[in-house]
Order: sequence, then C-alpha cells, then structure tokens
Amino acid sequence: MKKVWVIIKREYLVRVRTRAFAIGTVISPLLLLGLIILPAFLAERGGGGEKYVTVLDQTGDSALFEGIKSRVESTGSRNGSDSDEGFGRSTRFILTRQALTENQNPVELIKSQSSDSGKTEHRSFLVLGPGILENSPPEYHARNLSDFSIRALEGAVSAAIAERKLMRAGFDANKIGQYMKPVTLKNFKIGAGGESTEGGMRQDFMIAFALLFFLYMSVLFYGIFVMRGVIEEKQSRIVEVVISSVKPTQMMLGKVIGIGLVGLTQIGIWAISAGLISMLGGKIMASQGASVPSIPANLLVYFVLFFVLGFFLFATLYAMVGSTVSSEEDAQQAQFPVTLLLVVPMMIFGLVMSNPNSNTSIILSMVPFFAPTLMMLRIAVINPPMWQVITSMLIMLVTILGFVWLAAKIYRVGILMYGKRPNLAELGRWLRYN
Amino acid sequence: MNVVELRNVTKRFDQFIAVKDLSLEVRQGTIFGLLGPNGAGKTTSIRMIVNIFAPDDGKVLVMGKQVSPDLQPFIGYLPEERGLYKKMKIGDQLIFFANLKGVNSNEAARRVDDWLKRLELSDWKNKKPTDLSKGMQQKVQFIVSIIHNPEVMILDEPFSGLDPVSVDLLKNVILDLKKQGKTIIFSTHQMEQVEQMCDDICLINHGRQVLSGSLREVKRRYGKNTVILDYEGTDSFLGFEMVKQHKRFANYSEILLSDGADAQEVLKRALESGARVNRFELVEPSLNEIFIETVTGSKNKAQVAEAVR
Repeated sequence: MKKVWVIIKREYLVRVRTRAFAIGTVISPLLLLGLIILPAFLAERGGGGEKYVTVLDQTGDSALFEGIKSRVESTGSRNGSDSDEGFGRSTRFILTRQALTENQNPVELIKSQSSDSGKTEHRSFLVLGPGILENSPPEYHARNLSDFSIRALEGAVSAAIAERKLMRAGFDANKIGQYMKPVTLKNFKIGAGGESTEGGMRQDFMIAFALLFFLYMSVLFYGIFVMRGVIEEKQSRIVEVVISSVKPTQMMLGKVIGIGLVGLTQIGIWAISAGLISMLGGKIMASQGASVPSIPANLLVYFVLFFVLGFFLFATLYAMVGSTVSSEEDAQQAQFPVTLLLVVPMMIFGLVMSNPNSNTSIILSMVPFFAPTLMMLRIAVINPPMWQVITSMLIMLVTILGFVWLAAKIYRVGILMYGKRPNLAELGRWLRYN
Repeated sequence: MNVVELRNVTKRFDQFIAVKDLSLEVRQGTIFGLLGPNGAGKTTSIRMIVNIFAPDDGKVLVMGKQVSPDLQPFIGYLPEERGLYKKMKIGDQLIFFANLKGVNSNEAARRVDDWLKRLELSDWKNKKPTDLSKGMQQKVQFIVSIIHNPEVMILDEPFSGLDPVSVDLLKNVILDLKKQGKTIIFSTHQMEQVEQMCDDICLINHGRQVLSGSLREVKRRYGKNTVILDYEGTDSFLGFEMVKQHKRFANYSEILLSDGADAQEVLKRALESGARVNRFELVEPSLNEIFIETVTGSKNKAQVAEAVR
C-alpha cells in the first residue's frame, strides 16, 4: 500500500502545483455566479431605457391618465405586476396625453403619426376608449410587442381602471389605495424535523441548481482528468516502468485517489470561501435589507459524499476507457457512452426538481450513474427519507466495487496494448488473461 | 547461483503463443544477452521476469524465489519503449521512481545527485524532459532503472540513440555494476555490443530457444570457419564450391567456408588469381553470422537481415 501512496502523492502534487489548478479554482465559481447573475443583469439592462407612450384618451377627463402616469412613473414598474419581477425593472415610461373626442378614430391618428418621422420608432400608443370603464379593453399599439416591460404598463393600467371604477362606485378615494394593495405569499419550507423555516422557492432553486451544476462539472472534469492521465502514461510509455514496480490495479487506484483528492481540495477551497462570503457578505447584504442564500452545512456534507462516490464511479470508468485507447482522438469516441451517463441526469433534472417525490424521481435517483446528481438535487429541494439516501449510496458503492474489479482487469491488459481499439469481444477475452 | 531462471515457461495471448517452453539460466555477476529477431518473444519473456505478466505454464524464479511483487525492488528494468512524465522535473521524476521501488526520499535525493553527476546531467536536474535531447532522456531513463540499486538489471536496447561518448559512458557504468556482483540481462540487436559485453547468450525465435550457452562456447561450436581476407584484385577466384558465403566490405572480405573446407585453399587461389594479399586471418564466425545463420533456418534471409540491421 505504500506504493499506492507514492502514486497518490505524485498525482496530487503534480496537479495542485499547476497554474491551471489555481486558475480553475478561482474562475469556476465566478463563472457560475456569472451564469446566474448575467441573464438577470442583461434582461434588466437590455429592457432598460426610456419608453415614450402617447396616451390617446377618449374618456373626456385626465383622471384615469393621471392614475396610470403616477403609478408608472413614480415607482417604476415595480408595483405594476408581481409576475414580471426581475424583468424590465429599470424601464422608464414617459407618458404624454393626447385628448381625443369620441368621434376621432385613434387608429387613423396612430397611422398618420407613425408613418411620417423617424423619431416615432420608440413611440407607442395606449388607447383609452370612451367605454373603458364599462369593460371595453384598452388598446396598446407599438412596433415591438415582445417587450416584457409592457406587462408593467398593463398592470398600471389595470390598477388605475380598477381605482376609477371603485371611486365611481362611491368608495372613499383615500382608502382605495389600501384596499388595492397587492398580496404576496410568504413561503415557509418544512424541514426534516417538521419545523418550518422561512425561505423563498427561488433561494432553494438557486442552491439546488448550484450544487447540481458543481457536482456535475466536478465529476465530469476530474473524471476526464483521470482518463487523460492514463492516456498520457500510455502514450509516453511510462506505464511499463511503473508496472514493473507496482501492480496495475495499484497504479490505477493511486491515480484515481490522487486526482480525487485534487478535486476535494478544490471543493474544500470553494466551500470555505462560500462560507466566508455568505458570512461576511450576508451581514453587509442584510444591512441593506437583502438576503444572501446560505448553503446549509448538511448539504455541503452530502455534496462531498456524492462527489466522492460519483467521482469514484466515473473515474474508474474513465480510467478503463483511457487504458483501451492509444490516442486522445480515439478517446473522444470511446468516452462518449460514459459521459452520456453523466449528461443524461443534467437533461432530465427539471423533471425531478418539479416533482421530487414522484416514483419516477425516486427511481431515477437510485440509478447509480444518476444518483450523484439527482439524489443530491432531491436532498437540496426536499428532504427525502433517510433510507432512500442511504440506499442510493449503497447501490453506488456496490457498483463502484464492481467497476473497480472490472476496470482493473481491463486496465492491466489495456495499458500495454497499442494500435487498434479493441471491440467488446476482445475486451471480454482480456478478462481471462493471466 | 542463478539469479534469474526460467523453467519451461509458456505464455499465450488468445491463440498466439508468444513464448513456448522456454528455459534459461542467468548466473550471478554476469552479463546475459537475450537475443532474437523482432517478435521472437523477448519482450514477453522480460515482462514475465519483471512480474508484469504471469506465465501460463512453467516457473519464473528470481533470486531463487518465484517472482512476486516482493522481488520487484531487486529488479531494475529499462524497457525498449520508454518515457518520462512530460511535466515533471528530472530530479522529482527520479525520486518518484526510486520511491516506487521503496527507496526513501532522502536517500533517493542523494543517489539522484550522484547519478546525474556521473552521467553528466547535473545541470538538467530542474529541467523538464521536453528541454532535454533524446540522448539525455535516454540517460535519465537509464538512471530510473538503476536508482534503487537492484540486483538484476534488465536493459532493453540501452544504447539506441546515444552518441559514441554516451555509449562508452554507459558501458563503463554497466561493467562497473558487473564488477560489484550485479547481474545484467541485456537485450539488443547490435551484435558487436553483445560480443563485447556478454558472458552468456540465449537466442530465441518464435518463442523458442534456438541457441544458448556461453558466448565463447557458442562460437567455438561453429569453429574457425571464417576467413578475413584483405586483398587488392578481382574477386573472381571466390566463386568455388568451398565458399558458402562471401561478403565484401570496404577494406576486406569476410568469407564463410563450407563444412570441411580448407582455408589454405582460399589463400592459394587468391594468389593464383594474381591478387595482392595484405591480410589473411582464420577466425570464428561473428555473432552476427551465427544469428542470421541460426534464425534463417526457418525464415527468409532478407527479413532477418532487416531485423539485425
């Protein structure tokens, strides 16, 4: 076993000392952060700017217009509608009223105004018809209708019309504001012990997605690392010297464990810095009234466990693949089935996330190749019964032992074979070699 | 004492028999030449000695015991196809391989310095293999195979790609090791080197032994049937039935005589033809000749000549 340790040490030190490791450790979390923040950021920026709306008002007085204007301009689009939170928040509407008589045709007017000058490109029209308070719908005319900020305007119009209706029905103008205050659901998550803790669905989703993504990336990345390491030793013919000193199985295990430790080191650095950030950053953000999603410690423990299991499972498969090929090009093809096993759960995770307790989800999270990602996901969104978690881990463990046995048999023959990639029948015969 | 012994060893890969019923004995403190054309089963035999392969039949003994991982620290191996880790410094790399053989890091570091100095590589200790010439890498490889001070060294083509100065350097190291009582198994296609260095040889072909014994004895078995003739003139006189084979080199001819032929007859005919003879010598056949002669018993001559180069 001392020899395995020598190999572990080499695999570990050679990789941890590289610049690539340092860069990867820093870049990956930034990348993920970017992946989460960027779309929201872009949506906010992209939809931003000013929007000029000409209100063609046929109601006869400006009260409704003022109601819309004040809602849209004073608070941005925030009060407009809850459903579009996060989109177009910074769009500023600039409303101008153009009074029309009942007999004037707004469509004709829009046509004449839209066709003449180039400046009208950003101009859109809101038509408040004479029967607007008797349920004839307001109309919106614009060149671009796929703009999410329209929903903010819609909300403002809807609220202003309701307000006018209520006033006409004789309600106290001062109290209408209170009556119409929108209600939001406050979310509580029921924990393992049955206790409820306040927390948003959004926050859960973010954490679950982050853990899933990191797990997938880490297992894939370090698994491929193992494969490439095997190919390098094979291509450069180092294997023969090494296996004249240690058993091929020891060589393979040393490599897998060594690279696994590199992965754990990286994850450890991430976990510690995530902890520090949520501790320090949490205080700062809390003082601003916002909350930073903090990852519960038990999730981190599960994360490490599932990384170790998932990595071992896939790394042995990747080592096996690496030993049967003679070049990186061959490896590209040969690794496909293995990588597919890792990618499939990433394509169906939505299914599990939306319905984590369905039979399908439970069964999927028990499949050894899917368990690292999908069981981790289920743990992050709900608290699956402990027996399910343990069963999935046991199934993985047994699978790992089986694959280590199989991979060792293939590996010891494969690393000395050059040239044509073996077919399945040949691989079968390798198992029987002395 | 026999440091390495193969007893009726057979190794198969599917239908292909790589080594068949092979027996050989390597005496302690000698240099043993394991010879044979390409694909004869040399590498497979060596891999069984270093415990990479297990034989299907027969026994492989090293230092009197059945070969096992426990014996690996006593064996040094320089494979024909060799390599170093591309991204590791030479010094670290050598320490790693020494560690693998059970030498602790302090001791390994000391030995690495000694060996690098001896093979004139000290300046390259902190460089990576990509900075080294092919020949230097070769020397580093050689150090890998002896850094743990093994009892048996198996060197497969140790001099290929080396300049004459480096060849000389390595040869001296090998002879030095022999003086210290170490045993060396030497596999090569360069017959002059075998003649210079080996005590015993074993020639295998198609996985079987075709010739073995001490070099001197093997050569004696073939008798003094070769004439070295340095002459000026035409070679027309050589076309008679006594001459089995005739090779014309730049400065002399090597003439292999038929069985029972008298060498004096060659000299007589040469003089009769009016040639000026500068040198006439009756010698044992070269190992090269013996190799080709033995192997071509079953095979096409051209193919073998190619293998010997």
